[in-house]
Amino acid sequence: MWKSAFSYFISLCLLASFCFVLWVVVSHDYHWEAITPYRANLLSGWLTTLWLSTAALVLSIIIGALLTAGQLSGQRASSLLCRIYIEGIRGTPLLTQILIGYYLVANAVGWDSRLGVGIVVLSCFSAAYLAEIFRAGIESIPQSQWLSARAIGFSEAQTYRFVVIPQAVRRILPAAAGQFANLIKDSSLLFVISVQEFTMQAREANANTYATFEAYLPLILGYFILTFPISLLSRHLEDRFHYED
Amino acid sequence: MRTDLEHVGKRYGDTRALADVTISLSEEDQVVVLIGPSGGGKSTLLRLLGGLETADEGALSRNGIEFPRTEPELREFRRQNGFLFQAFNLFPHLSALENIVLPLVEVHHWERNAAHARAEEVVERFGMKAHLSKRPAEMSGGQQQRIALARAMAHSPATLLLDEPTSALDPEMKAEVLDLIEDLCRSGQRIVLSTHEMGFARQCADTVVFLSGGRVEECGPAKDVFDHPCSETVRQFLSKVMKW
Repeated sequence: MWKSAFSYFISLCLLASFCFVLWVVVSHDYHWEAITPYRANLLSGWLTTLWLSTAALVLSIIIGALLTAGQLSGQRASSLLCRIYIEGIRGTPLLTQILIGYYLVANAVGWDSRLGVGIVVLSCFSAAYLAEIFRAGIESIPQSQWLSARAIGFSEAQTYRFVVIPQAVRRILPAAAGQFANLIKDSSLLFVISVQEFTMQAREANANTYATFEAYLPLILGYFILTFPISLLSRHLEDRFHYED
Repeated sequence: MRTDLEHVGKRYGDTRALADVTISLSEEDQVVVLIGPSGGGKSTLLRLLGGLETADEGALSRNGIEFPRTEPELREFRRQNGFLFQAFNLFPHLSALENIVLPLVEVHHWERNAAHARAEEVVERFGMKAHLSKRPAEMSGGQQQRIALARAMAHSPATLLLDEPTSALDPEMKAEVLDLIEDLCRSGQRIVLSTHEMGFARQCADTVVFLSGGRVEECGPAKDVFDHPCSETVRQFLSKVMKW
């Protein structure tokens, strides 16, 4: 009974805190008319974020899968190389990676597309995290499943295709969905190389009007519209791939 | 089919799983039962015979032809056999039907319709037709093991290798699965089986191999090994396990 009462009390506190924050946000004296002229810019920024995130998401899955294959290949050199890449990318700030990617690397090879470089850098960054998620998922499949597949006469490729990947996908989904949502939000850092994405447009609107909240608050809705469907899709797929109990 | 092992040894790191195993199994040895204490080398020997592992020492041959050693050849060799494990090892994301059909289609290149028909035929024989659409998590241990047995023998393997197939089952399910294996023995299926079920070994085996500490302590007809064991180790083991 005390446990239940405590649980109600905590829930009530959380609800009250949420209502308080909401009231503070809503009751602020806004001047939405200040950023009205920037509506089209914000929409175009949102569409750019949608496009670059989608492209980076697909590319990061491909690079992540290649890194996972490199790590699990059994070849010492490729495994070590992938490991160094993953640790290097995960241990350093995305901001510096974007700066180095555009101003040093892309400049050196003569590639001038800010959006293109942004997509590639973001993909390389996210792929390092995805590779670890994929590897952990694959390594979580019990040895007995590999043994059973070998006994049946499956080749290694068949074992991955019919036994390991279908089971690993279910385990990978929640973490991968979280990483995809991070990727979308991380794309906001591409402002440092002046990619005209959603956050960049909000920054410009703010710089021109000084209406900070009016410029930045639409970001909440804009990013949520992009990340929430990923969460829903992930849950739907988790149910679809559910096979235990 | 004649199988010969000469001075076969196998190590896992510092652990010697098999040492100096020399046995000959003739055409008449249709049902070979491996018995002995846990950790004695039964599973390792079964895996060597099934091509799941390769020996570190000695030679294994079938009808005078040496066992394969490269992975593609071993894979082809494994495809001729059927393997059943203690923990069933069904694929949990697939239905019982798909567990049987998938290897037939992807490994043995059967037409899907023919594979379905064969799967239904085998499970009907095992009294499992009503459970075909279920996934492993929805079945009892005995039902899973019967499906695993159906999967192992659906492609009519040359040899069926069963690694303690009833160790994870309760007594009732154990009896059901042993009945099925006995049926298979009677139908002329060549079987190599490791087990702790001494009653079954005595009743069904043509040849019994007793392994302890990775060595063959005794090998011969079931009646001889059980009634007149030559080795003191075998005698002590049997007197212990047959006591209750």
